[in-house]
Amino acid sequence: MTQESVLILTLAGAIGTGTPLVFAAIGGVISERAGIINLGMEGMMLIGAVTTFLVDNKTGSPLLGFIAGGIAGALLALIHATLAISLRANQIVCGLALTIFGTGLASFIGKPIEGANLEKSFNKLKIPFLSDIPAIGPVLFKQDVLVYFSWFVALLASLYLNRTRTGLSLRAVGENPATADAMGLSVVRMRYAHVIVGGLLAGFGGSYVILRIVPAWSQAGTTNGIGWIALALVVFASWRPLRVIAGAYLFGVALQANFALQAKGITVIPAEFLAMLPYLLTVVILVVLTANRRTRGAGAPAALGLPFVRDER
Amino acid sequence: MIAARHISKSFPGVLANQDVSFDVSAGEVHSLLGENGAGKSTLAAILTGLYQPDAGHVEINGARVALKSPRHGLALGIGMVHQHFRLVSQFTVAENISLGDRKQNWILSTKKVEEAVREIGERYGLPVDPRARINELTVGEQQRVEIIKTLYRGAQVLLLDEPTSVLTPQEVTTLFDSVRTLASEGKSVVFISHKLGEVMDISDRVTVMRDGKVVGKTAVAHTSREELARMMVGRDVDLSAIRATKPAGAPLLEVRGLTAKSARSQVSDASIVVKAGEIVGIAGVSGNGQRALAEGIAGLTPLIDGHVTICGTDVTSKGSIAARKAGLSYVPEDRNGTGLAPSLSISENMLLTEDLPFLVNHKSAIAKADEAINAYSIKTPGASTATRMLSGGNVQKVLLARELGHDPQVLIVSSPTWGLDVGAVEFVRGKLNELRNQGRAILLISEDLDEVRALSDRIYVIFEGKIVMECPGEGADVTTLGLAMAGAST
Amino acid sequence: MRISLERRGSVKSWHLIGVPLLSVIFGILVGGLFLEATGHNAVLVFQTMSQTSYTTLYGIGDTLAAATPLIFTALAALVAFRVNLYSIGAEGQLFVGGIFASGVGIAVGTSSSALAIPAVLIAGIVGGMVWMTLPALFRAWFGTSEIITTLMFNFVALFLMRYLIYGASTYWRDPTSTNFPQGKKLDQNAWLPRFGTQSIHWGLVLALVATIGIWFLLRKTRFGYQMKVLGDAPNAARYSGVPVKRMTFTVLIISGGLAGLAGASEVAGRAHALDPNGLAIGLGYAGIIVATLARLNPFGALIIAIGFGGLQNSASALQSLGTESVPSAIATTLQGLILLLALAGELFVRYRLKVSKRVEVSA
Repeated sequence: MTQESVLILTLAGAIGTGTPLVFAAIGGVISERAGIINLGMEGMMLIGAVTTFLVDNKTGSPLLGFIAGGIAGALLALIHATLAISLRANQIVCGLALTIFGTGLASFIGKPIEGANLEKSFNKLKIPFLSDIPAIGPVLFKQDVLVYFSWFVALLASLYLNRTRTGLSLRAVGENPATADAMGLSVVRMRYAHVIVGGLLAGFGGSYVILRIVPAWSQAGTTNGIGWIALALVVFASWRPLRVIAGAYLFGVALQANFALQAKGITVIPAEFLAMLPYLLTVVILVVLTANRRTRGAGAPAALGLPFVRDER
Repeated sequence: MIAARHISKSFPGVLANQDVSFDVSAGEVHSLLGENGAGKSTLAAILTGLYQPDAGHVEINGARVALKSPRHGLALGIGMVHQHFRLVSQFTVAENISLGDRKQNWILSTKKVEEAVREIGERYGLPVDPRARINELTVGEQQRVEIIKTLYRGAQVLLLDEPTSVLTPQEVTTLFDSVRTLASEGKSVVFISHKLGEVMDISDRVTVMRDGKVVGKTAVAHTSREELARMMVGRDVDLSAIRATKPAGAPLLEVRGLTAKSARSQVSDASIVVKAGEIVGIAGVSGNGQRALAEGIAGLTPLIDGHVTICGTDVTSKGSIAARKAGLSYVPEDRNGTGLAPSLSISENMLLTEDLPFLVNHKSAIAKADEAINAYSIKTPGASTATRMLSGGNVQKVLLARELGHDPQVLIVSSPTWGLDVGAVEFVRGKLNELRNQGRAILLISEDLDEVRALSDRIYVIFEGKIVMECPGEGADVTTLGLAMAGAST
Repeated sequence: MRISLERRGSVKSWHLIGVPLLSVIFGILVGGLFLEATGHNAVLVFQTMSQTSYTTLYGIGDTLAAATPLIFTALAALVAFRVNLYSIGAEGQLFVGGIFASGVGIAVGTSSSALAIPAVLIAGIVGGMVWMTLPALFRAWFGTSEIITTLMFNFVALFLMRYLIYGASTYWRDPTSTNFPQGKKLDQNAWLPRFGTQSIHWGLVLALVATIGIWFLLRKTRFGYQMKVLGDAPNAARYSGVPVKRMTFTVLIISGGLAGLAGASEVAGRAHALDPNGLAIGLGYAGIIVATLARLNPFGALIIAIGFGGLQNSASALQSLGTESVPSAIATTLQGLILLLALAGELFVRYRLKVSKRVEVSA
């Protein structure tokens, strides 16, 4: 067995670290393509994480834990959908409220298990042949099954949006809900469905964090704001699922930065400053995108964030 | 053959339809004529299934139906082409037509749709490229997409809501040819409009509505313009041309080589002069740079090139406050959204174009508002009512009251009578004429060619951001103007 | 029979108070049910809460002290939100305000109070403004989402603050603290004096002044009027001649300054040192909840901040109830829940239910 270089390990690790972002950001894309901004992602990820932990330790099945985490996220998203769609509340404030509520709730539920370790989780799954390709093999094909699942989800989302009739309807709902409504589509139903799916994926994202990244519950540092980075990632990827993957792994590298540099023996930069890297990177990318008039708002669903009301005079 | 029987429908504070009955047969073009606010759009919405009537019912071929939604209506063969198109501008023509079509496969394939679009287009004289994106098409082409959309879904009855307001005279002719072809193939066409001339031109029968009721139903062959006008308005209304009675004075507004951009509107190298005591009209199809022109002159958007002089003062790119100080007032097309802040009260909105001191005097604003409400007979619960609650005519009155209260030397008005009922239209026209006689300079920007021709002493035509023609208002020839508006002049 | 929603013509004032009030009541009820469901004694919890925060003199004092930074962060939020600028950066701006305040406080601590206290407070305001500058610039000139930028800066500020105290030996760290790193204590001259029950400090008075000041700005000045127009219809603001980009920037900077002042108040009034753990308790986010519940009204925010201050205060007491202890997260959870209920109830402020019977008239 060849000794794997730090670079390979870092890149492989970046894929792992970036996977929660893949799930959450695709969830964001789905929800935003329907026209609804979901700022509650961070809360949904945390609820997903804590639920996964509890279910996994209770049942001994990481798979059940993963699914339960998704469902928990979806339930929280249902609240967001009800408030934003049926009750016509301001989507931004709603999402913030949900994050605060979700964070608090997750912390509350998680108190009894604080510090405990997750017992069972997924292991790495080597894909034969592909994982023996020099360089990219160990990076891409020696990941756990959830990573492969995330690729599948991204691909599915992309095909769904661009090649299916429902995907076309969804895009119409996000661009011009009045027209979609006039064409007989149920804007309300489509929005509910896709916001909930978005929450499900956010829950999966949180699940992944607890299953593979930090397998212990600690209120202070489980998701650390990656729910918010996921939102920026949606913009960065121009609302396209396949681009989400590229961006997520880029952020994954930034998130891994301190481990990588430490492994290389570079300790000049203090850990706290390295920890700032992903957040600063997010700002830089967003500013570059919006400063350039051509890319500003490119791909954004036209009706994003606006409530849809038929019949209002 | 569809019919509406004894339809009544009301909205908060408004009785839109009262015991309205209407029918149209196969192969017939039947117009719904009436002024803005007469109730035509409400009736149309009920016929297509968008609204449900409070009383009465709809019949298709003699059988009662309860239309639950526009989709339901369309499934039963009733389709509508709205004034504001229901198109997703980022999608292609084919995608728009496929939208919501349950007969499509789950995995999209636009081939069949594209073929159908080409075929329908040829048959009825509505050619359009199915692969083009909507935002790449002209307004006239977009309208064709809307018509094709309803035909593709099997509509036998087509309702056209004010279809000609966005078209050049030539495009109107093409549209009418298509309508006649549709009728000859057995389709029914309901032509909803407030334009007498067109109604007489295209329809077999006409039903006139006023204030939510049907006031007349007749074959076009048996009536006249005057009779229809009288039915429409309920009294004799003189909407004929009014010209200046004195010769124009010194130039008060001089625009040279103006180039500017505002949102998606662009104007380049425009030169205009408006003298004291004259109304100058800018004619053009919507979306040809009118907004950029108005905002460039009024100082809302900086000039890329050119100069603007108001009453001798150069205000080029100095902002809207400088323009106002020089004597300009601007009444924009977007009344509640640009001219007024819709959630603010009338009194608060009165302060919008004032030169405010550090501490705002709300009391004097309320006094001003009360004055305006009296002087202009504005219908409102009070000065603290939010302007979003007012009807179109009253909103325009607030705007005029405020702007005229500044005693401007130069006034720019954009689409001043759009959407207003006859009484309000008369009022606005009267005011503009009054100002002209007082020696003010008025720039009238309007997509309504009739209005421009009726009021202007001189007319410029704008096309794709450029001034392409100038002519006197008196005796201006519609065909020549229409060609210029479509960019076909030399 | 059909039930539909109809927009109200005018908003009645009892709705404005009724909705937040009902949300609080429902929030308590639901919270109580939840506590019981998770095996806690709801009655005991609420009793403890009221004793530690609302019904005893010392409790009220503690509540007011806890409310002080919340008033500032709520004002910070509402100023920005009124113009549709959803800055969530008060959290980080508070930290940086604290950093600047303590830095200056340590430097000028030995000068007279008349000099030191204003210096510390101004430093705090400047700190908050500085931290808001980049997000404000980006939003005003490029339209970059202030939601995400201010949030990212929150994390950066948190790490910066931690670094200054826990990360290395810096100017801010107390060199004599060996067991657990602590911030250098400010000299007494730089402390905001205490009064009343001795937990309340002059920061509260400042907060009151700030509330009145913001109310005045919004209601009586030209700037406030322009803000109102901008928040309702940006095109109308442009039409009116308001310099939109400049105003966007200015409003955000004011918001940042208020949040920075919160940090200075905590440093100079409560802890008398830069204390990352004591500051990083979600004051910025709670401020947003307060502002929203208060429907962006300054005086409403004042009152609700006091209510929430009590919640915050009780949370730590609840943690140490022994066998009956409740995780401190109950405070944030309840706050979030109340806000969600208020958002749901908001619907009834703007719309009313219309029940209509379908009338069929035969032809």
